[in-house]
Amino acid sequence: MQMGEVIYEVKGVSKRYGSVVALEGANLKVHAGEVVGLVGDNGAGKSTLVKVLSGAHMPDEGEIFLDGQKVSWANPRQALESGIETLYQDSGLAPHLTVSKNVFLGREITKPGILGKLGFLDSKAMEEKAHADLERVGIAVPASNRPVNQLSGGQKQAVAIGRAVAWARKVIILDEPTNHLGARQAGEVLQVIKEAKRKGLGVIFISHTLPHVLEVTDRIVVLRLGRVVRDAPTSQFTGDTLVGTITGTIQAIPEDEV
Amino acid sequence: MKLNYFKKAVALAGVAALALTVSGCAAAEETTAPNATEPTAVVEELTIAFVMGAESDPFFRAMKLGAEEEAAALGVNLIWQGDPANYSPETQIPIVDAVLAQQPDGLVLIPTDPTALQASVAKAVAAGIPVANVDTRVGDLSDVLIFITGDNEDGGAKAAAAIANAINYTAGESYQVVIGLTSATATTNVARKEGFEKTMAADYPGIEIVDVAYSEANPERAASNVNNWLTKYPDLDGIFAIDGTNASGAAAALEAKGLVGKIALVGYDAYPDNVAKIKSGVFTALIAQDPAAEARLALQTLVAFLRDGTLPTSSEVVIPNVTLDANTSDADLVRYTYVAN
Amino acid sequence: MSSSQQPNLRLERFKAVAGNQNSILLSVLIALAIIFTLAEPLFFSVATAGNILTDWGSIVLLAAGQTLVIISGGIDLSVGGTLAISGVTSAWMMSVVLGFDTTTSGSDAHPPLMIGAVTAVITGILVGLVNGFLITKLRIVPFVATLSTMGATLGFAIIISNGMPIGGPNDFSIISPINRDWMPLSWAVIGVIVIVTIVGLFLHKSRFGLHTYAIGSNPFAARAAGINVERHLTKIYALAGGLAGLAGFYVYLRLGAGSPSSGTMRELDAIAAVVIGGAALMGGVGRMLGTVIGALILFTVQSGLIMAGVAPDWKKVVVAVLIAAAVAAQTLKRENRQR
Repeated sequence: MQMGEVIYEVKGVSKRYGSVVALEGANLKVHAGEVVGLVGDNGAGKSTLVKVLSGAHMPDEGEIFLDGQKVSWANPRQALESGIETLYQDSGLAPHLTVSKNVFLGREITKPGILGKLGFLDSKAMEEKAHADLERVGIAVPASNRPVNQLSGGQKQAVAIGRAVAWARKVIILDEPTNHLGARQAGEVLQVIKEAKRKGLGVIFISHTLPHVLEVTDRIVVLRLGRVVRDAPTSQFTGDTLVGTITGTIQAIPEDEV
Repeated sequence: MKLNYFKKAVALAGVAALALTVSGCAAAEETTAPNATEPTAVVEELTIAFVMGAESDPFFRAMKLGAEEEAAALGVNLIWQGDPANYSPETQIPIVDAVLAQQPDGLVLIPTDPTALQASVAKAVAAGIPVANVDTRVGDLSDVLIFITGDNEDGGAKAAAAIANAINYTAGESYQVVIGLTSATATTNVARKEGFEKTMAADYPGIEIVDVAYSEANPERAASNVNNWLTKYPDLDGIFAIDGTNASGAAAALEAKGLVGKIALVGYDAYPDNVAKIKSGVFTALIAQDPAAEARLALQTLVAFLRDGTLPTSSEVVIPNVTLDANTSDADLVRYTYVAN
Repeated sequence: MSSSQQPNLRLERFKAVAGNQNSILLSVLIALAIIFTLAEPLFFSVATAGNILTDWGSIVLLAAGQTLVIISGGIDLSVGGTLAISGVTSAWMMSVVLGFDTTTSGSDAHPPLMIGAVTAVITGILVGLVNGFLITKLRIVPFVATLSTMGATLGFAIIISNGMPIGGPNDFSIISPINRDWMPLSWAVIGVIVIVTIVGLFLHKSRFGLHTYAIGSNPFAARAAGINVERHLTKIYALAGGLAGLAGFYVYLRLGAGSPSSGTMRELDAIAAVVIGGAALMGGVGRMLGTVIGALILFTVQSGLIMAGVAPDWKKVVVAVLIAAAVAAQTLKRENRQR
């Protein structure tokens, strides 16, 4: 499969919370059309790295590059506007809002003319486009005016992923997207990831369901105690060696070049 | 990062201090007497604490002026305390406790409830602090040095007479009036209502009190009540507004409906705005108390007792009310208007 | 007769959980009107409608702002105090600063009244901005933050006014029903309806409203979607403050004076209206029309009890029952959905 240039990269990222070192000198890069798995035990620093990647937190040290250009995110909005979509662990949906309002939250379609300038919404347009976009990435959600909290857990997750894929222009970060999902729904999520890869997006896939990671990623980055201990093509891992690297029974080896 | 916490803490402390200062300013003031008139044979300056009802009530603000003047004249320290806006025993009791902890030489207390504040009076007396009651009283006055009040029953009676007069009461005819109250339990309200009812029953049997309603010290509520009454009783002849805020609201309601002069409105308490409305005919009459005089007498009695052990000639003193109406001289109007400056 | 009707109402509310919230509220309103008319025929009159709407005018302004605040997951206890201080600053501006007094009346009063209105709204917005600052920058929870501004505004209102109403110029015809025989609305109430409608349109149809719901529903999701939550909340509290300031001016028009005791307990009436109207105190749920009807219900009850000659203490009981029923209906609706 053809992979493009390095689309998103962080170098030497460190983050401390008080005296706790969450991340130390972490490097991670993803190419266009590549799926990178990010794994590690609890407390390894995965969620901190996700927050730095998504613009939710600023690192204490380190640099971020998008398409080779140095960037810095003061807030999530800046990352979003630059084409980086993040699916957070709790799916980041507002339960009382409908599907289309959730999909367009922060990027609403306004009515034309002066009403639009005042911020009045074109709900019909959002409704149509939301469902079309979700279908295009393989997600069929019942058209409804009912709030999202009336959907099942799997459907909610589907909407959240669909939203991320529909909006993502460069990178999509998925933090534990298959948690609480049954086998069939998890399989659908993996399909979506493959679809995103096919579209040429850079995908960062965080999960502790290792079979999924082995199935769908091109490369795996292992975090342990805030440091990257292994960064290698997926083909170089087996289930056991992967577990071993995560827990530390297999020693860290220097970064492998692809 | 530590700097952020520090900055936040400083800002929070600053805001808290500001908030405390503001509420403190509204509630408590300590005035020190100038030494200009130094009375004879005083070894140390006496401190008298005054815990009143609600700071926001002009009646009490006028009382404060009288208290401050008298404290200055007598050469005593005055501690003036009380809830900024709520007339209630729940907020008053802790304030009395705090004041007693400062160990004043004497306490003037305006109890917001006759039973709830009884224990506070006992506490003060047990600590050797003589207590005076002003305006309202506790149920059992045996420990209280003196109880000074306006005559609320008399005020109600005078109001009844004023209304009867204004509507040209003729025996044999029937009339309808209503009473706008603030609360169902405040002793002032209860006494004024009783005086009003008794006088009506005895002297003006043709006048029927068809309804009462409460405004909870909010003038807009008083205005609402009047609006509803005017709809329900199209032949209403008179309204008795039991206190200053009620009177303000009732007057506004009449003005809004264009019924000035058509309905006899008698109010209580000489708020400057309402006094001005006597001339313009909105108010038939205002029953004015003399809060400053009440405060003056309370201070004088306490100080005399503390300095010489003199007991008051009477343990219950009633300061008469004054009826302000169209016949009152301008000089008297000015004299009895509640002033707070 | 009325006591046998009221338990039936409650039962219907519980049963019709799937029904439209607003139509339930309307039915309650109509049922109350019927009950009170039966008790006192004079209740059903233009005059009574005028009384109810006049009372409704100030509280619905407070409640409109409170609706947005509650939907966003917060609460604003300072609106009563803001009402009081805005009325006072407005009166002070017109009579003390500009020198107009109560002798200026009728249409002569219109120019100073306009200045007074602006003063009141600006006062309210300033209080709202202070709330916004306390909540977003100092991270004080809304309950505590607005409790302290409530105290501060009441205190300042007393200080500025010396505890007594400040009289000023007024045109009582603005606040009186336009035609006693068939038009219970006054110009002031018409103005209030226009403003509340505009605020409601923004709440339900605009990006501003959507973001308000989102923040109340899931503040994390709102932030992750790129919404500047702090800036938005500050705007909400400023808006609530401005509306409270306008309510303060409305009460000035009623009284012909700025009275420091005009705010007492009004925030509770506003919150009651919002809760009866169907908003959830946890945030994310609420509709402006519900609040509007909720406030109408409150004052229908208040006027109705006086007209029916019922002891006024019953008003508190009836309102408590309505609030309990509204909250119960909300809870049942939520549980129903999750099945």
